Amino acid sequence: MNRKTDQLLTDCITENKENIYRLAYSYVKNKEDALDIVQDAIYKAMTSIESLKDKAAVKSWFYRIVVNTSLDFLRKHKRVHPMEQEKLESYAPNAVDSYTDIDLVKTLADLPSKYREVVVLRYFEDMKIEEVADVLHENVNTVKTRLYQALRLLRVKLKDTSLKETK
Amino acid sequence: MNDILEQFRKEYQSVPIPEELDTIVNRSIKQALHTRKVKRLKVKGMTAAAAILVFLIAINASTTVANAFASIPGIERIIKVLTLHEIKEKDSHYDVDIKTPAITNMENKQLQLGLNQKYLNENKALYDKFQAEIEELKQQGLSEAHIGVDAGYEVKTDNDTIFSIGRYIVQTAASSSMEMQFDTIDKKNQILITLPMLFSDDQYVKLISDNIISQMKEQMKGEEGKIYWIAGESGDIPMDEAFSSIKKDQSFYINKDGKLVIVFNKYEVAPGFMGMIEFVIPTDVIQGDLVSHNYIK
Repeated sequence: MNRKTDQLLTDCITENKENIYRLAYSYVKNKEDALDIVQDAIYKAMTSIESLKDKAAVKSWFYRIVVNTSLDFLRKHKRVHPMEQEKLESYAPNAVDSYTDIDLVKTLADLPSKYREVVVLRYFEDMKIEEVADVLHENVNTVKTRLYQALRLLRVKLKDTSLKETK
Repeated sequence: MNDILEQFRKEYQSVPIPEELDTIVNRSIKQALHTRKVKRLKVKGMTAAAAILVFLIAINASTTVANAFASIPGIERIIKVLTLHEIKEKDSHYDVDIKTPAITNMENKQLQLGLNQKYLNENKALYDKFQAEIEELKQQGLSEAHIGVDAGYEVKTDNDTIFSIGRYIVQTAASSSMEMQFDTIDKKNQILITLPMLFSDDQYVKLISDNIISQMKEQMKGEEGKIYWIAGESGDIPMDEAFSSIKKDQSFYINKDGKLVIVFNKYEVAPGFMGMIEFVIPTDVIQGDLVSHNYIK
């Protein structure tokens, strides 16, 4: 049985290696750390394979390890931006008065990670809402809400950029 | 809205995939499988070089220690291996875990001391080299860099006649490499076994090589994704890198079943993703050239 599961996991890793690299990269934003995370995640997955209960869910199980490894890494290296919450509020539709920071956020990479990860998994990894929820260990409704907020955030941001350009 | 998402998707997918990803992924899988198997004995807390040396000399030279073992009824003089010394250091830029084995309880003290000193010296050299690399990285101000080295050992076989120990070194930079070395000891005669010693003449080189080549071909036929570089077979590989024959002193050990196992380090006969490779040689292949069946059955 073990051999089969090993093979299943190995195949999953090999098939998705570029995707998991990009996923890790979206958290740490540099090559070396992303490669480290890929290594760590593979190691963790291979050595804790007994905890995989449902073999059909191997992909979301492995993605969850990649996500957790990335978050652990950020926590350890304290690269989480302390201003995130405030920055986020400044993009809410009502916060008209704090335009000063707008230049900081232009790309997907600048989106706070809890919003970015749902967008990445749902749209770029083409996962179902249920799978995204499984990967992130959240319930389906939370994921839906976050996705909705993320999309709104992106739209707002783009409006702001265009506003700025026309001035 | 879709345009916006499309734009972000492009941004997401524009992250270039590094060349070394393939190697790293394959190696990580191999390493994980490997470490799962390796049982680790840990003796910590001995870091002062002087203390180690004293200890090493004590277990090697002290007849009191040896006699103490011998005089306890019921305890035979069994060759043992223990972790003499472990260096473990970790920081955001590097990761070291070097375990040095020491063989104890051999009657042939000279051989024991020789082997133990070899292990200690090699690991010291490894550690020094690693220290130099870290210094270099610091000087270049590469704060993002991360390097690591993991060295240890595993006992391959320990039965009435034979004791085989393998030592591995895994070095990690952006990409990593793994190497393994083996020592096999004849317990009864207290000597180190070499490959040529097992055979009456040089015929074994060809016998074993031919068998390995047929095993390689068999495996490549059976499983997709298995690749070996065989001379005259793989057209795109330069001849001098392809496998045609083992070395006279090729890396080997004798497994628990008394079979000869030939070992190739990474890149030696196959692409990196194949990792380290072992071939068990069926005894009837080398039958005619074997000196005796003492070791190989």
